[in-house]
Amino acid sequence: MRRFVILALASFLAAGAAHADRLDDIKQAGVLRVAAFDSNPPFGYVDPDSKQIVGLDVDYAKEIADKIGVKLELRPTNPANRIPLLVSGKVDLVLANFTITEERAKQLDFSIPYFSSGQQFIAKKGTLSSPDQLNGLRIGADKGTTNEIVLRRDFPGATVVSFDDTPFAFAALRNGNVQAITQDGPKLVGLLANVPDKENYEIPPFTISNDYIGVGIPKGEKRLVDLVNETLLQLEANGKAAAIYDAWFGPDTTQPLPRLFKIGDKQQ
Amino acid sequence: MSIFGEPMAPRYLLWLIQGFGVTVGLSIAVCVAATGFGVSVCGMRMSRYAPLRAAAAAYISAIRNTPLLVQLFFWYFGAAALLPQGLVGWLNTPHTLDLGPGRLSWPAFETLAGFFGLTLYAGAYIAEEFRAGINGVDNGQYETARSLGMRPRLIYWLVVLPQALRIAWLPVVGQYLNTIKNTSLTMAIGLAELSYASRQVETETFLTFQAFGIATVLYLVAVIVTEAAGLAVARSGRFAWANKRS
Repeated sequence: MRRFVILALASFLAAGAAHADRLDDIKQAGVLRVAAFDSNPPFGYVDPDSKQIVGLDVDYAKEIADKIGVKLELRPTNPANRIPLLVSGKVDLVLANFTITEERAKQLDFSIPYFSSGQQFIAKKGTLSSPDQLNGLRIGADKGTTNEIVLRRDFPGATVVSFDDTPFAFAALRNGNVQAITQDGPKLVGLLANVPDKENYEIPPFTISNDYIGVGIPKGEKRLVDLVNETLLQLEANGKAAAIYDAWFGPDTTQPLPRLFKIGDKQQ
Repeated sequence: MSIFGEPMAPRYLLWLIQGFGVTVGLSIAVCVAATGFGVSVCGMRMSRYAPLRAAAAAYISAIRNTPLLVQLFFWYFGAAALLPQGLVGWLNTPHTLDLGPGRLSWPAFETLAGFFGLTLYAGAYIAEEFRAGINGVDNGQYETARSLGMRPRLIYWLVVLPQALRIAWLPVVGQYLNTIKNTSLTMAIGLAELSYASRQVETETFLTFQAFGIATVLYLVAVIVTEAAGLAVARSGRFAWANKRS
């Protein structure tokens, strides 16, 4: 009797373990459920014409669904409920401009990064080309941001002048009170897009710190992680990753941002 | 440090103390400059020439009826856009002047704009305090002196102005106290004074209560010391004699 119980228990556990493979579940259901932002252009937002969620994250989600060979089903999410959706099993993956952090990696697994947003600068054209120059400059930053802290820590020779927000910092740059301003690359691009004399300014192609964006995957789903990583590397190899990037940040978009990070690159 | 909870690393305390130094230095510079400027504006406001009076009145009303924060933005962001590029560039690059033992460095543009804006602001109020002081001297004083044969100019110097100064002194000290507190607004134009420093320390350490608590105490110290000094002057020497008499 006892042997029977142990056997039953063992077989139950084995079945449980086999059942826990999410990749098989997805294939069986024929649907990949992905949480994406619905109001964070250009990563994920509702397209006003089609009323569908579109964006860079969504393009990657489509590629992953295609790779598995199932339909894609999008669930709108926001920064606060990304993790609960994933942990409670309501979605299979999160592609929502999800920055990889150690803290989050305790609760879920991340794929390799497919996007990186870094701390960058806007300066008058031709005045700033490498990080070495920063130490001698007066640089505008936003109060209370990590940008300010990183700059002070890594470039002690720079004079950091902090303003209430980025438009104020930019006004100081236009006046010549600071020689450069700093923020995350995608934010600077958005700011520069609305400047009337934007041809006088540039975003030099270097970053001084990076946030890496990855796919959020439920903890312990090794096969799913492998599949996502493999898909991402393939997309880079066949040029599709570059095409997706260009569709949202390329030279023909309203907010062009040079592509400094490629999937599979070593993280700084 | 126990009443402030978790202690703060020395380098952050140093930031706060440096910020306090900037606040004190800026306050003193502004109070001195605004007093001189305020006296001149008061003179214009009470001049017998109508255009001077009108100019001073217009200036005082423009300054007193607009928020100081907007004025600071105007001087830092707005006025800088009107100045020639070369001048702004020169103002923003460090210049040092070697003076034998010491070295004088040209202040940053934030400091200049903050000093300028606060001086114009405090100057308008101080001008009005002086005018109130002069108007507060009883007309009989002037008439009596006149009947004794003193010339009007002498009456102003020897009879009216000393009494006016006594009347105006404590209100002017009140404006000095306002100036100390108003320097905190210059954090909006990037001047690294005490409020800016406390905000910066808060960002890096998350010791919110400690950062703003220490800043509050330092402001309190600056204001109380200034107020006590103002009262001490009011009670001393010829001031005291005059106060007893009146």
